[in-house]
Amino acid sequence: MFGRLSNFKHFPKPLWGDWLVIGFSLGLVILSFFTLWSQQPATTLRIRTGSTVFGEFSLMQTKSLKIPGKIGVSAIDIQQGKVRFKQSPCNSQYCVHQSWLQHAGQVAICIPNQVSIELIGAVPTMDTLNY
Amino acid sequence: MRYLFLLLVSFTQLSCSIQLDPLYHTQSYVFGTLVDISIYGEKEPEAQFIASEITRQFQAIHNRLHAWKPSELNGINKTFAEGKPKLIEQDMADMIADASQRSLQSEGLFNPAIGNIIHYWGFQSDDFPAHTPDKAELSALLAQHANMSDIVLNQHQISSKNPHVKLDLGGYAKGYALDVGLKILQEFHVQNALINIGGNVIAVGQHGDRPWTVGIQHPRKPDAIATVALGSGWAIGTSGDYQRFFMLDGKRYCHIIDPRTGYPAQGTQSVTVLIPPSKDAGVRSDVSSKPIFISEPARKAEFAKKMEVTHVLIIQENGEILASPAMQKQLNWLDKEAQTRVRTLE
Repeated sequence: MFGRLSNFKHFPKPLWGDWLVIGFSLGLVILSFFTLWSQQPATTLRIRTGSTVFGEFSLMQTKSLKIPGKIGVSAIDIQQGKVRFKQSPCNSQYCVHQSWLQHAGQVAICIPNQVSIELIGAVPTMDTLNY
Repeated sequence: MRYLFLLLVSFTQLSCSIQLDPLYHTQSYVFGTLVDISIYGEKEPEAQFIASEITRQFQAIHNRLHAWKPSELNGINKTFAEGKPKLIEQDMADMIADASQRSLQSEGLFNPAIGNIIHYWGFQSDDFPAHTPDKAELSALLAQHANMSDIVLNQHQISSKNPHVKLDLGGYAKGYALDVGLKILQEFHVQNALINIGGNVIAVGQHGDRPWTVGIQHPRKPDAIATVALGSGWAIGTSGDYQRFFMLDGKRYCHIIDPRTGYPAQGTQSVTVLIPPSKDAGVRSDVSSKPIFISEPARKAEFAKKMEVTHVLIIQENGEILASPAMQKQLNWLDKEAQTRVRTLE
């Protein structure tokens, strides 16, 4: 084992092609860090009604959902990686105005109808939201 | 290619694997908003029991303090209007005395006595319509001069020198409930938990081997603008113009009323405060942001000081972002463009 490690001393000098690979890969890592870490794309949609989880859905589909809430039915659209409240029975329509959500950690809540949608990614970005 | 495997190893480390952790999470709707409780490291039946006990007590507080449905608080408001005294519970007397003291501390910018004005604007409702203000009606309401100093507390007996005092503890109750929630967690010896009542959050312990991470909502985008690591016992609260508001002729009218004018406060999108551990951290996280939100730009630092707030983030309507030096150290910016606009609050 240690004998093999000592071979690192004799590691050949990198060629221009190696630098190209290193440069490209580092670029990929940095790009991935900013896209996956700070604005991680979501993979799953969790819908809650009241205190119960109504269901979890893949975001990688096109689907329209009708969710029965406290005061009526909320219409939720999933469209290949993003989701929105399309229609809501509430007066304020805040949930509809939030428009499309696509990053992990994003949440839209219809308080009058007690329906919430939450986007989940591979790595949890935060535990809760202050608003 | 010989170096590719080293980079792949670092890339693999970066994209952490998902680990199942002993996290119990539940949501409910109390105080007309979303209540979110996370308990880490307890067995699920215990965590479920404790969370339901917390929710039950929150519901009890909400029922007692409801500002526009029959409640203990509205019973008090009724006797104020009739000019009569009323006997009240000790904890209710303590709460009103504490709210009065904080109103004094804020020079009246936090004023839970103006329930009549809040009602006039339609914010004493679960789902309020846009409302055109009438200057004469508002002037008449302002002339009532309802203040917390009108309230007379004599042990268990309460009365008001001003019949127009109508208590609305909407800017206090959620913070009070956070402190109650913290006490329940301590009674059950819960080591790690996070309670979020409509955006006001208090932390106990941490989430496994890392602190609880709380996102701060961008006031104009459906994303968090930054995150903070919320230490054990710390609380965070935001006053924003984006949760309860209506638009009329292109102008935003939010639920935070300036008691000096009777109109919704203008010029500020959000004020976020971080409160260090104390027995009233929850209340402080709820109350302290309001006077800073309402005060004019030149006096925001002064009101932060008056409210004993050291960690504050202010987002102005003109896009200006101000943060105290202590707050700047705590913020992990997600919105890099916003980060470039941060100025130190002095």
